[in-house]
Amino acid sequence: MNKTTKTILWLVLLVILVFYPKIFGVYYTNVFVTFAVFAVYAVALNVLLGFTGLLSFGHAMFFGAGGYGTALALKHIEGLALLPAIGIGFLSATVLAMILCPLVVRVSGTAFAMMHLAFGQLLYVLALKLRGITGGEDGIGNFPIPPFSIPGLISIPMKGAPENFYYLAMVILGVSLWLMWFFTKTPFGQIQVGLRDNAKRIDYLGYKVPQSKAVIYVISGAFAGVAGSVYGLFHNLVSADGSLGILVSFAPITAAMIGGIGSFFGPILGTAVFQIIEEVTIRFTDRVELVMGVILIMVIMFAPRGIVGFITTMKQRWQSPSAAGAKKEKTS
Amino acid sequence: MDPTTSMYVAQGIHGIAYGMILFLIASGLNIIFGMMGILNMAHASFFMLAGYFCYQVIAITGSFWAALLLAPVFGAGAGILMERIFLRKLHAFGHLGELILTVGIGQVILAFVKIFWGTESLPVQVPPILEGMVNFGGLEYPIYRLFVIGLALVVLVFMSLLLYKTRLGKIVRAAVSDRDMVNALGINIPVVFMFVFGIGTWLAGVAGVAIAPILTVFPGLADQVGMDAFIVVVTGGFGSLAGSFIVAIIFGLLSSYGVQFLSQLAPVLMVAFMAIVLAIRPNGLMGVEEK
Repeated sequence: MNKTTKTILWLVLLVILVFYPKIFGVYYTNVFVTFAVFAVYAVALNVLLGFTGLLSFGHAMFFGAGGYGTALALKHIEGLALLPAIGIGFLSATVLAMILCPLVVRVSGTAFAMMHLAFGQLLYVLALKLRGITGGEDGIGNFPIPPFSIPGLISIPMKGAPENFYYLAMVILGVSLWLMWFFTKTPFGQIQVGLRDNAKRIDYLGYKVPQSKAVIYVISGAFAGVAGSVYGLFHNLVSADGSLGILVSFAPITAAMIGGIGSFFGPILGTAVFQIIEEVTIRFTDRVELVMGVILIMVIMFAPRGIVGFITTMKQRWQSPSAAGAKKEKTS
Repeated sequence: MDPTTSMYVAQGIHGIAYGMILFLIASGLNIIFGMMGILNMAHASFFMLAGYFCYQVIAITGSFWAALLLAPVFGAGAGILMERIFLRKLHAFGHLGELILTVGIGQVILAFVKIFWGTESLPVQVPPILEGMVNFGGLEYPIYRLFVIGLALVVLVFMSLLLYKTRLGKIVRAAVSDRDMVNALGINIPVVFMFVFGIGTWLAGVAGVAIAPILTVFPGLADQVGMDAFIVVVTGGFGSLAGSFIVAIIFGLLSSYGVQFLSQLAPVLMVAFMAIVLAIRPNGLMGVEEK
């Protein structure tokens, strides 16, 4: 694909995104916002999982920290504007990641995953039990959502205007995605692949392994926080089960697995597949978990490297049938 | 004994009984992980499944003892099927795929349970000999919970004998430390794997039957108890049965005394304990460094 085609494709995508709410109506606009939130969340997790090879079982704590940070700020600070509120969500997730990173960068593999499970569960249980601050099981709902405003210029109401919120969410999530994409392309971002494949070698080359891991970790957590913050604003509700529960931690992992963890866009594809399946299944049956479980099993059995990996393999086979045939003979 | 002391003692025995059940589930999870490196997220689902099998066997035969004997075996059969049909084929693609697969299987089991048995709690009757209270020195205590402690101890002794005194146990322990070498010596590792997976799910099944009369059987059982058991293995250290045992008993006691003194914060205690242990020893209380 040359540069012109790529630019045209991006422009087409942009136009579709701009006119999406006009064409599809309120319901699908909301579905799309949910999809976008989880896509950014899954990409943030994948920065850690796919690129650096660190599996976090408790990424919901950053998602939740973002949500609770924004919600608490809007509830308690009088006259807070919208962007600073999202900024506070971003900051609370960043601070949480910074507190945890001295502990977690020492380990990798199973121990890393388990420590996240521990801290994630700790935050979840605390959010359930500290009713005075977090509202327990009910969560924090109905906090004021200020209009998006640039003083002296414009003021766009956000509450009860899904279309306006759609554009805001798209801009924030799009910028987050672009920043993460940009990050993985910087020389520093390339180190993370090295950390995944051979951490010792990176050490010999003169890079500081724990510190590099810590920076990547904080970035991954911070963007998960942005996703959580937008999610909280979107529902006007932040609750322990909806933002901090173990299922919230698993959703991006499965999405990344289904899409393909090696690639940047894989998790977005995975999230889309999940969203579509859920939308379709719910029309016919309420046994969503059965369908989801079966699909999860099928994908893992027949396309263990996810959809993106499956497409790459097929492409290779298509382009060089003889080589693929030879490979097949070798393995059998 | 005055009432206060007897209450403390009763809470202590409660805690130990719950800890024993946690240990039964955790040891199965632990053996499977230690040997095959598979983090079986569906383990708690097999535990729940055995609870439902127990209900079904009692509904058909009317005997709790038959259920105690048969339900874990059925559970183990389901586990072996899952290992043979799905997990074995995935081994080449690393542990993450296996993990996600077991999550999917857990969801499917949950859905099937809801289809076959519905969503309401099903009561399980204990045989008359285990009903009622036993009286030692002024302390009234339900017999069934003492029976659970005894059952867990019997299983524990049986397991240790199997692992440390038989040829089979030797092979399993050798396979844990160096699978390829054992394979090269002419031992059929896939069959050993299948056996180990069966034992692991059988242990979960015994726990499922043991807990059925206490908590009744319902679809949320896997989440409720399974998470606790998972936390036990993580805190005790993967691959260490002794670690699991110690932590299971500590957790049982923490949860029973915690409910009594700090009913608000009882779940926080357990998770905080796990977080502190893991912050100091990332591989768990008695876990070993990864190679």
